[in-house]
Amino acid sequence: MSAITAPLRRSRPPQQAPSSAHLRVVDEPVVRHTLAYAVVMVVLLAAAVFGAVALNALAAGAAVEARALESHVAVAERDYARLVAEVAALEDPARVRSAARELGMVAPGPVRHLVLERSLPSDGDVPSARTPEATTDPLKPLLSLER
Amino acid sequence: MGRRRPHTTTGRTLRSGDELAVRRIRWTLAIFAVLVVASTVKLVEIQVVDAADLAAVGERQRARTLALPASRGRIYDRDGDVLATSVQAATIYADPRAYRGTRTPEGREVPPAGEAGAVAERLAPLLDTDPAAVRDRLEQDRHFVYLARQVDHDLGERIRALELPGVGVLTEPKRVYPAGPLAGQVVGFTDIDAHGLQGLEASYDHVLSGQPGTLLLERAPGGLDIASGIRELEPPVAGTDVVLTLDRDIQHVAEVAAADAMERFAAIGASIVVTEVASGDVLAMASAPGFDPNERGDEDPADRRNRAVTDIFEPGSTQKALTIAAALEEGVVDTTSTLEVDDAIRVGGSTFTDSSSHNPQAWSVSQIMERSSNVGTIQIAQQLGDERLEGYLREFGYGQPTDLGFPGESGGLLMPHSEWWATSLPTIAIGHGVAVSLVQLAHSYGTLANDGVALPPRLVRGTVGEDGRLAPVPAGDPQRVVASTTAAAVRGMLEEAVHGEHGTGALAQVEGFQVAGKTGTARKPLADGRGYSDRYIATFAGMAPADDPEVVVAVMIDEPYPYYGGLAAAPVFTEVMEAALLALRVAPDDSGADLPTAVRLAAAQAERLAEDTDAPEDADASGDDDSTDAPAEDADEPGGGSDDPP
Repeated sequence: MSAITAPLRRSRPPQQAPSSAHLRVVDEPVVRHTLAYAVVMVVLLAAAVFGAVALNALAAGAAVEARALESHVAVAERDYARLVAEVAALEDPARVRSAARELGMVAPGPVRHLVLERSLPSDGDVPSARTPEATTDPLKPLLSLER
Repeated sequence: MGRRRPHTTTGRTLRSGDELAVRRIRWTLAIFAVLVVASTVKLVEIQVVDAADLAAVGERQRARTLALPASRGRIYDRDGDVLATSVQAATIYADPRAYRGTRTPEGREVPPAGEAGAVAERLAPLLDTDPAAVRDRLEQDRHFVYLARQVDHDLGERIRALELPGVGVLTEPKRVYPAGPLAGQVVGFTDIDAHGLQGLEASYDHVLSGQPGTLLLERAPGGLDIASGIRELEPPVAGTDVVLTLDRDIQHVAEVAAADAMERFAAIGASIVVTEVASGDVLAMASAPGFDPNERGDEDPADRRNRAVTDIFEPGSTQKALTIAAALEEGVVDTTSTLEVDDAIRVGGSTFTDSSSHNPQAWSVSQIMERSSNVGTIQIAQQLGDERLEGYLREFGYGQPTDLGFPGESGGLLMPHSEWWATSLPTIAIGHGVAVSLVQLAHSYGTLANDGVALPPRLVRGTVGEDGRLAPVPAGDPQRVVASTTAAAVRGMLEEAVHGEHGTGALAQVEGFQVAGKTGTARKPLADGRGYSDRYIATFAGMAPADDPEVVVAVMIDEPYPYYGGLAAAPVFTEVMEAALLALRVAPDDSGADLPTAVRLAAAQAERLAEDTDAPEDADASGDDDSTDAPAEDADEPGGGSDDPP
């Protein structure tokens, strides 16, 4: 086995002209931290792989979550559509009338409108004079008793 | 520089060892070189030569293109109450290959995943069907069979939980009509794949259906989405909601009234149209017999017809209001005119008579209308002339479809006056020899109610898009047909036809309101078009309140008994008009009732209703003959008194 020195990768410009052909000044051999370099590379590689796996795992987790949310949305939309239909069915005039009849109600007769004698307070014209009945029945002063 | 060999005593041994090592290294290198070359060749084959095919295979295995159906738009009434909507339903399917042994392309035997009979026994009770029928489908020589479509979603979940071999459950939308038969003929229905087939579901299918979308994604064999895979979404465009002009409550009352009229008068059909005067909006469009779009498989297809739009009939005496309006507008007669009216008139070789004989009378135009005199109306029409009569009838909407855009809408029949016979003028003047749909009749009376301005009837109020805003359907152009004074004069005459001493429409009175309207009775033509049968159409068209109408109601009863419009159609008009005025909160004409009177009337009515409620049910059946309340004289003689209708 022969020891072979590593070749110089870079040469420095000669500082001085060699005084003789068989002797020359050499630099201190470069210390190559091969092991540290390898460790760094392995760590970086491992980090990259771990990062990629972790990102994929996160993405997969997010996809699962998104799928669950989409499922929830679909279920909520389905329930909403069903409830809309149920409400409409419950509000069906035929069903309401039938239910009312079962409760003993009857259809209303002709509508009669009562004409107000004076303006309502909300109209901005508060009645100034009130009849004595006003104290017992607040509606009476507002309804025509004469018509 | 040559390599030196070591000069040792064992140089021969070392030389031999080196050569061996070199030889081994060379062989090793050669093997590696072959492997590298082979790998390179394969790599080139995979990455270059077959790249496209293999990519396609991989994509087929991973990629899934999912169709995203667009949700179909809802149909609402004018107040936003749902008339048609879609819900998610379950569809049960099976792969019959699961119940028979198969062989893979490689020749490997694949045993059955289950036994068809056992699966059918478990499914049949859930699907409410016969196990033999289910088994027959499971044993078909197909890859896919439907076992049940659009069943309840919860049922689908129960079947899915059973994990039956070869049985799957899909989710798909199902069109439902929550109010059942309410406005069934108007709304229409879709097929099982949600394509509109009839009614507004068909005519507005392009609006309601929307645009389906697609989702392209990559999935692992387990069905889980590949997060880093491709995901291309083309979202579906939801269908647009359609808002109708129908009022659900008035529609219900109209449908009940039509069905009751059919039963009470032993008729074969009835139709009712209610319109709002100010807008031309159709508030109700009812036809009996009706049908439930949810259960259309069991219904008679003829019942799906929207008779108010598709069926035409001779309007009979309801036509007289239009004839007289045209004569007033043209100045042929005025409100003070009187005519010497006999009980018969001979025109074109045919004799036309009034419904009851009478001596020659000097009647005003209003009295002619009140008594529904055929002879008097014909005399007025003769002064008007055929050309002007046809022109006005067309302006009132006869002979052409309305702007409803309803599928199958009829435009009615009105021959050009150039093709009229000698008897056509008198016949058409009293509503025979001409045919209209009920919506056309309501439209013509709506014109009189709207001070002579025709507003095209409208059934669709607008559409609601994704922004939730109502986009109104453009209303048709209003067109003046007669002057407001003419319309008011005719309304006054129509009021007399209901409230007058000799009016034929006494049964059309509505408590608290003055009603303007006209009865009509017409024979039905024979199927071959030659002559008339002894079957009748009873009609009534009117409006209220008479001085400033807000609602028009038109009623048509097909082959009722009694067949007079004043007896059969008028009471139905009253029932519907009362409900419409109440729903629209129209103040009664006699709204000035004082409080004690109102309380007394309300109490009396409550007592009466209570008595009716307590009365035995069979009491109604015996007292249901309206003929006892018939007016003493109904001038709507069937056939208009014509001896020989064309």
